[in-house]
Amino acid sequence: MQLRYVFSELGQGLRRNLSMHIAVILTLFVSLTLVGLGVLLNQQADRAAQHWGSQLQITVWLCKDTDDNPACTSEVSDAQKSEIATVVEDNPEVADFHFETKEEAFEKVKDLLGPEKFEGPNPAATAADMPQSVWITLKNPEEYQGITSAVVGLDGVSGIRDMRDVLKPIYGSINALQWAALGTAAFLVFAALLLVGNTIRLAAFARRKEIGIMRLVGASTLYIALPFLLEAIVTAAIGVLLAGGALAAFMYFGIEQRAATGLSFMPWIGMPEYLVALGSIAVLGPVLTLLPTLVLTRKYLKV
Amino acid sequence: MIRFEKVSKAYPGQASAALDTVSVDIDKGEFVFLVGTSGSGKSTFLRLVLREARPTAGRVYVAGKEINRLASWKVPRMRRQIGTVFQDFRLLNNKTVDENVAFALQVIGRSRSEIKQLVPETLELVGLEGKGDRMPDELSGGEQQRVAIARAFVNRPQILIADEPTGNLDPTTSVGIMKLLDRINRTGTTVVMASHDAGIVDQMRKRVIELDSGRVVRDQAQGVYGFQH
Repeated sequence: MQLRYVFSELGQGLRRNLSMHIAVILTLFVSLTLVGLGVLLNQQADRAAQHWGSQLQITVWLCKDTDDNPACTSEVSDAQKSEIATVVEDNPEVADFHFETKEEAFEKVKDLLGPEKFEGPNPAATAADMPQSVWITLKNPEEYQGITSAVVGLDGVSGIRDMRDVLKPIYGSINALQWAALGTAAFLVFAALLLVGNTIRLAAFARRKEIGIMRLVGASTLYIALPFLLEAIVTAAIGVLLAGGALAAFMYFGIEQRAATGLSFMPWIGMPEYLVALGSIAVLGPVLTLLPTLVLTRKYLKV
Repeated sequence: MIRFEKVSKAYPGQASAALDTVSVDIDKGEFVFLVGTSGSGKSTFLRLVLREARPTAGRVYVAGKEINRLASWKVPRMRRQIGTVFQDFRLLNNKTVDENVAFALQVIGRSRSEIKQLVPETLELVGLEGKGDRMPDELSGGEQQRVAIARAFVNRPQILIADEPTGNLDPTTSVGIMKLLDRINRTGTTVVMASHDAGIVDQMRKRVIELDSGRVVRDQAQGVYGFQH
């Protein structure tokens, strides 16, 4: 097979329909960027959930020696803890629960704020300063009054943190952003498919004479379709590169420089998550251009 | 070389069949005229040979293969055994004469050295030596048709199909084209030519198959255009 012909056809095809190809590339670029953003935000939500637990969780702080709550006179006792465990276990609203020790709580805080502050001769806090806690997972996030009222009056309980109060607005905005990005992307993906289809129709029309002759002299279907397929791959590759660049810029300027320094109480996504997003658009881009190309070349270039 | 066994072809939405139980046998090396009025089924006949269309009933054999049962991916290879020439030449106007002829070899993957040898050889055969660098619109109609014949013949097909090749040419030029087709026929290539041109058919004294409303009404060994029983 003479690839020289195929590549010269490819170059000609790209030049001949330049404005259409640019339209395809730009549409792909924006839609892939939005899809990538959706993937990133999804992973951001996952990371936050891993760290803080999901919206289903309630944390019960137990008394410690130096507790701010006047009801706590001393560190919670083992008897009190087993009493609390029984109450929690018997409650029908509870799906699951576990105790968190002072050490585990300390590790989490060190993880979040960086270990530097907790080392050396004058640490900001030690494990002893941390409260023990019970992490309760609810069956239904709407049904929580029973368990909170059952636990709140027990001996050894300092307070209750309902994660929903903290997480609802954060998860809510991440979710909203994610769906807004993916929803807009869906429209643009549809537009990209139509644009690719139109480009092929125009190109097949512009080359109808060549194609007619190729069919008559017995060129294989693959050979006839190859310039179209390569065009599809080239436009997809450029679209993916642009979108990958935009996402990288978002990661650097949006997350690394802004969010991760300004809102450091929250764990932020990084390189591995970016690579996942890049991988998904690197697959999606070529699929979006090759799929209509394969379907339409079968239609327009039938032997 | 070409055999039609009780071939019928009906196009959807048309009352009468384009071809109606046509049986024809064309041997290797024959020169056959296909005559008849417009709509008599000549084009359908040629389309069936090229497998641009499939028969509604009956069997079409080309070069020993029943082509209506050929898998579609094998069709390109089968078409490499057939050269085709049209009334309207169908040359690529943005390519030179050389490039037009070479195109037919390039797209079926022939090597550059083969192309380098075959293209000038074929241009010489059709009487266009030295005109390889011209563009098609710099040539006369007769010369353009010679380019088209060179393109159809450059791969040395077993069969050459010509659909009204002289339809756009004046009588003198047409004679030249017919001499060329005759020369190609003498190399052993089977030639099937659809024609309206009574003068040419009468002059050549070759086998004539006449179609009328999709039926073979005459198959005469050394025929002329009009009826002569």
